[in-house]
Amino acid sequence: ASTVNLQSFIGCAVREFRFTARKPGCRALQITTDACWGRCETWEKPVLDPPFVESHQRVCTYNETQLVTVRLPDCAEGVDPGYTYPAALRCDCGLCATTTTECVTSV
Amino acid sequence: LDVLRPGCHLYPFNVTIRSDRRGTCQGSRTVFACVGYCESITFPSRYSVLLASNFTRSITSASRCCTIRQVAKVKVRMECPRDYHYDDIEILTAQACRCDMCRKSRY
Repeated sequence: ASTVNLQSFIGCAVREFRFTARKPGCRALQITTDACWGRCETWEKPVLDPPFVESHQRVCTYNETQLVTVRLPDCAEGVDPGYTYPAALRCDCGLCATTTTECVTSV
Repeated sequence: LDVLRPGCHLYPFNVTIRSDRRGTCQGSRTVFACVGYCESITFPSRYSVLLASNFTRSITSASRCCTIRQVAKVKVRMECPRDYHYDDIEILTAQACRCDMCRKSRY
């Protein structure tokens, strides 16, 4: 397998991601899945007419996903132990669709 | 010019301004845009985000985009044939760039 230098990587790719699945009434569960990470081309350019700046903005996001359901441990009676999350099959530079995505600024 | 590198950098381009369609007077100069590759990551949303969005926003995209941090006005000198005069025109150029909030990448 080839190694990728993350410091200089350009583009948008599937990358391993760890998170804690938690919901009320169950014990949390550590999950390792495929998410999307990268650097997409973005730019801003001054133009002669209002609003005087033209911009091109894209983010590295899911292009094709597969839903995965896991069983959270030690759930209280009457609580559904199922926890469903999307795993990335393919990633691409695209717009951030607020219908399906919480779009935030990274720090 | 090497633009295929991470980060957000000044990128020169040429602007030509014409006084009329025929280009009786015209001037051009090099100004700067900001072009680059800033980091973004998309991953399964936390349970609080799922709840707040009624389970529609199953993924969260944390991103930054290449933006103009500082602009300056510069003059374009208009060259005219004899007996014509056209005042210098002020246009904007980027002076500094940074990876910052993606204000226009969502829909």
